[in-house]
Amino acid sequence: MFDSFLQGITLCLRWDTFGMISLGLMAGMLVGALPGFTTIMAMAILLPISFFLHPLVGIPFLIGVYKGGIFGGSISAILVSIPGTGASIATTFDGPSLTKRGQARKALEMGLYSSVFGDFASDILTLLFIGPIALIALKIRPPELTAIVLVSLIIISGTGTGSLVKGLIMCFVGLFLSMIGMFHFAAVYRFSFGILSLKAGIPLIPMLIGVFAFPEILMALEKEAASYISDRIDLSKVGERLKFAEFRRCFRTILRSTGIGAALGACPGVGQVVAAFVGYASAKKASKHPETFGKGELEGIAAAEAANNAVNGPTLVPLLTLGVPGDNITAVLLGAFVAQGLRPGPRLFAEQAPLVYAILVAMILANVLFLILGYVAIPLFARIITVRKSALLPAILIFAFAGSYVFRSDPFDLKIMILFGVMSYIARKLQFDISPMVMAFILGSILESSFAQTVNLADGNLFHYLFFERPIAAGILMLIPVMAAISLVKAIRRRGGPGSILHA
Amino acid sequence: MSSKRILYLFLVTLFVAYVFSGNVQAAQYPKKPVTLIIPFSAGGSHDLNARVVTSIIPQYLGQPMVVKLMPGAGGQLATAAAVRAKPDGYTLIFTHNFVDQLQPLIEKLPYDTYESLVTVCRVNYGPGMAYVRADKPWKTLDEVLDYAKKNPGKLKFASTGNWAAIFTFGALLFHRAGGIEAHFLPYKGGGPCLQSMLAGEADFSFFFPMPLIDLHKQGKVRILATAGEKRSKEIPEVPTLKELGYGTGYLMDRTVMLPRKTPEDTVKILRDAFSKLIDDKSFQRFMVQVGENIAYVDGPDYEKMRLQQRKEYTELVKTLTGK
Repeated sequence: MFDSFLQGITLCLRWDTFGMISLGLMAGMLVGALPGFTTIMAMAILLPISFFLHPLVGIPFLIGVYKGGIFGGSISAILVSIPGTGASIATTFDGPSLTKRGQARKALEMGLYSSVFGDFASDILTLLFIGPIALIALKIRPPELTAIVLVSLIIISGTGTGSLVKGLIMCFVGLFLSMIGMFHFAAVYRFSFGILSLKAGIPLIPMLIGVFAFPEILMALEKEAASYISDRIDLSKVGERLKFAEFRRCFRTILRSTGIGAALGACPGVGQVVAAFVGYASAKKASKHPETFGKGELEGIAAAEAANNAVNGPTLVPLLTLGVPGDNITAVLLGAFVAQGLRPGPRLFAEQAPLVYAILVAMILANVLFLILGYVAIPLFARIITVRKSALLPAILIFAFAGSYVFRSDPFDLKIMILFGVMSYIARKLQFDISPMVMAFILGSILESSFAQTVNLADGNLFHYLFFERPIAAGILMLIPVMAAISLVKAIRRRGGPGSILHA
Repeated sequence: MSSKRILYLFLVTLFVAYVFSGNVQAAQYPKKPVTLIIPFSAGGSHDLNARVVTSIIPQYLGQPMVVKLMPGAGGQLATAAAVRAKPDGYTLIFTHNFVDQLQPLIEKLPYDTYESLVTVCRVNYGPGMAYVRADKPWKTLDEVLDYAKKNPGKLKFASTGNWAAIFTFGALLFHRAGGIEAHFLPYKGGGPCLQSMLAGEADFSFFFPMPLIDLHKQGKVRILATAGEKRSKEIPEVPTLKELGYGTGYLMDRTVMLPRKTPEDTVKILRDAFSKLIDDKSFQRFMVQVGENIAYVDGPDYEKMRLQQRKEYTELVKTLTGK
């Protein structure tokens, strides 16, 4: 194994590999930063380019697009509160507040460093533990997935700002919204009222843009236009850099999030969005000052970004070892592999181990290039917000509409965006935190389908099935009462009396 | 010459070139890029096939072909968009027979695909392959079906969404084998469906050659029967479903269609471009590498096949749902 590893290193030390990774990273960053264009779309569009390249150039190129794209999504999340991809939703909790304070560059740098760290660590873990990760991936089936998502939901639900009851209300609204459209399992349409565009459910991207970006524009309109236009950001601080002390302060959080991201990445079907949420929620819980989260906390960005990037490494494992793609992103990569005449799977590993290791080494190389490119690009991106508000706000509005439309070219999605925009605006006015709704919406559909599959597999005898045939799932489920008890005890201690929890 | 002047000259030249080129090509149909709608999300087999097609067809069409992904509602969103598109030949759809001919029978839809869309050609098909996990006791397809007959509702069939390809293959086979009652486990898409089989959750399913043949050769799964008229060249020991007496139709035809009202000569230009594409050496090489076949059927012939499909599916749906 070590031999093939060394061979792999020498294989990918080619200037064109470096060049194409850099190109891929830049392309990914740009596309990811554009609202509505997802990483997966960028990869699918650029896939044919890889057909005509050497495998060790073409595949690293796509991996560059993948990594760049996920970070690119965070750029627009931090600067203009539009999550470029679903993975950067948790970044919008703190990023825009930092930008408003004029610390955009600092926030972007924190995002870059934690992303690169998360990615780097998870790639090394993947390289070292590819066998065990492949085993875990096979063990995580619908029952385990249900248990993991339930635990994630409980961890996440502790993060809302403001009243617990309001948070729960929004959570239920989100769960309800996730049920709209085709229920895959029984093949029935629910709450779609015969509208063709709703049959597939509420589209995520237009909803995200509506929820997070639209209210920002309305808020700006609300203030007197004249004063708002003259009200420019304190430019003296725009260039402010991240201090090493600040990075060190967040290092524990970055480590924790990396662990969470890598662990969730090994479970097929969970994904970056959930990892970012859970990473953020755990950081908030562990923090001595949870009240600063959501109001421009650097640690919040670190938590979300390290977690979503740490997912990247382990998600490739089922593809490399079994030849079965775990999600759409790895499906595009599978396309790139097979077009090169490489069939991922155990045979590829046995016959072409150096090549597989070379690809893994290229992933690690991509991180180094990512750091350099990001470092160069950040000051340019940070300057975007120094544009006059009178030009910036209409531009955000255009991007919000364009981003909702390009997702699947359906005009109906514009209505969705506006509807959720207005809803989110009203929720803000009434002091409802909208993020539990979005989280529940995303987790709801995973939870529902995996639970339905579990019930189906159990042949109706759920309890027996879980405890006697699915010990891992049962074990994870047992964590729930323990976790609830711990947070209850903590809350009582902090407040000094049992009656006060509901107002926490 | 100042740089401003050079720029000015350049722009004038460009404009003149544009105007003249416009005049020359005015009569010929593809004057701008052609859009190819994919009814599924990025990364699926349709997407991959389309990427190969669109990276080579510009040579024969004289214009780029742009992929537009419109996933949603099992392909209905995209089909509705293709039906509604201007019949000028600039909007095509890359669909398959179950979206085209089967779905309209199951649900009330605001369009009739046969009346609204006409075929440019069939590019290829995905042949369904019936398989079990290697550690299951069944060695032949008949053994599986015998077990299912003796134990109604016990055989777990890993399926994709309602009336999607794998679901339909299963329904078709169970119907033809004498109305077998199986336990359908639906998964979201082909990938999860295959994973569930590898994890041993389900007993029996269908999948496509890529990566099933590899998994068969590695001894992880056992392919029991294949679709198509002839046995697969890679696994000649496996019988076809037709040989075993379960008929044909276990194919997912990948077809290119456009609105039926499109002018005749435009359709002809497209059909010619696709027939040249099929003979292209690099197209053939890529399709082999991607693990797909080329099974070209020209437009008029496929139109006849569509009518035949509709008949078969109507009968199938009637017996299964009673409608």
